[in-house]
Amino acid sequence: MIVLGIDTSAYINAVGIVDGDRALADDIYPARTDSLEQIVDNMDTTLKKAGLPLAWVNGIGVGLGPGSWTGIRVGVTVGKMLAFSADKPICGVPTLEALAFSVRDEAPLIFPVIAVGVGDAVYAGLYSPEGKSVKRIGDYYIGDVKGLSSMVTGSAVVVGAGAERYAPLIRQASGMELKSVEAVPSGAAVASLAGIRFSRGESDDALSLAPLYLKESTARVFVNRYKKE
Amino acid sequence: MLVLGIETSCDETAAALVADGRTILSSAVSTQLDLLKKYGGVVPEIAARRHTELIGYVVKDALDTAGRILDDVEAVAVTSRPGLAGCLMVGVAAAKTISYVKKLPLIGVHHIEGHIFANLLSNPALPFPHVCLTVSGGHNMLLYAPEPCRYEVLGTTLDDAAGEAFAKVAKFLGLDFPGGPVIDKLSRQRNPKAFKFPRPMIGTKSFDFSFSGLKTAVVNMFKDRLARGETLPLADIAASFQEAVVDVLVAKTVRAAAEKDVAAISVTGGVSANSRLRQRFSETCKKQEIEVFFPELSLCTDNAAMIAAAGYARIVRGERSDLRLNVFPNAPLGLP
Repeated sequence: MIVLGIDTSAYINAVGIVDGDRALADDIYPARTDSLEQIVDNMDTTLKKAGLPLAWVNGIGVGLGPGSWTGIRVGVTVGKMLAFSADKPICGVPTLEALAFSVRDEAPLIFPVIAVGVGDAVYAGLYSPEGKSVKRIGDYYIGDVKGLSSMVTGSAVVVGAGAERYAPLIRQASGMELKSVEAVPSGAAVASLAGIRFSRGESDDALSLAPLYLKESTARVFVNRYKKE
Repeated sequence: MLVLGIETSCDETAAALVADGRTILSSAVSTQLDLLKKYGGVVPEIAARRHTELIGYVVKDALDTAGRILDDVEAVAVTSRPGLAGCLMVGVAAAKTISYVKKLPLIGVHHIEGHIFANLLSNPALPFPHVCLTVSGGHNMLLYAPEPCRYEVLGTTLDDAAGEAFAKVAKFLGLDFPGGPVIDKLSRQRNPKAFKFPRPMIGTKSFDFSFSGLKTAVVNMFKDRLARGETLPLADIAASFQEAVVDVLVAKTVRAAAEKDVAAISVTGGVSANSRLRQRFSETCKKQEIEVFFPELSLCTDNAAMIAAAGYARIVRGERSDLRLNVFPNAPLGLP
């Protein structure tokens, strides 16, 4: 099964194509101003390079975030309209899961991290390898990266943009050794994870698919707080 | 030619199918009125999130209502400028993707040009040249249109758009949402001369507008009287405020028509739904022997049928956008 995967959450446009376990393409394009301008061109370039017409693609994988709010809106909108207009199944893949997937052979505990953009705050999760895929343990985490230290119970790897800087901070707080892998989300990882779900007979509803922000807009936070008081 | 129009520049998620720039087959609009009420206005991040959730449904609804499928569509038109960046991006991302998959011509449309075409959709007899007043919550523009797709901007607002002033005054008076229609309804059969409010810039040579001072005058008067313990007839305040806005809009537009020596005026945008504005324009224009045109009410506020119609006009002129189409949140009218 050929799956096209895109992720626009990290100020880059990641486009990958997989056929079962085999990656046919895994491209990273700069998103100079924003993901919107180039994303459709980028998909077209990757498909052409792989010698694949869109008609041969059997399914779509799209990175849901977290990450750039504007970025994930562009990616999810492109993904859902691609699925809708080309009449193909779609799976939304949490970007943290795609990051964890790319280092699943590195350690039994995997901490994918994505910068929130305020101090050392990160979106994160704890994953462990499971078969060909990865499984999330517990809830998503949003907060200072040092807060992840209590979850380090054995050999672990931190993956993401800034992992090399984050790993010593977690190490300091936990006293445990950690590996780190600098990485951006990969289109092929998104496509692989979508492919695994497709092979189980699962897919998402294209029209209702929504980004995974993990954080409410500031206005909503204020209104909710005001209501409580 | 069947054109799919998409509009997400502010808080309305809209899609429409229009044939040959004239016949509306469907016009789906999902308003975010619930969010407007909850937050007291449009919050860009929240509006953009809602667009992402709704865009697919709205496009599907436009197709289903028209009894057509995507394969019947021959071109895609989308609002790419001006508007809220995060909101515009959702519509443009959707339009580009459909255009790519179905190999259809794509055209980015200026939102104001859309409003101009809303009136041409409602009134195919609207002649050129004419003077057009586009007035809504986000725009307040007076322009001269010598022929279709050619515009000369005569004036714009220096601060608040008229619709924005309506919304802010309504909010201050504690009225319900949306403020414009509520003030319109409240003002009917009331005394528009009960309070004397300024008519900002009504006598100036320039065709620019300014409604921020008028809004402040209403607020100050309200506070003064409240401090003196007087009772405040809300409906008369609303009517007097509305009359001040209408006076300025009518006076400047009619003067522009005289200066440009045109026999027709087109009034578009959300505020063109205001009943007092329509009445006063009709009365004044009758005296001056000028024809005045308004869109049907469903085409006054943001919709995608007007975008499809404007896009069609551009496409038949041979214009196209490529797949790198981006958004221009502050683009002036006339930018290609």
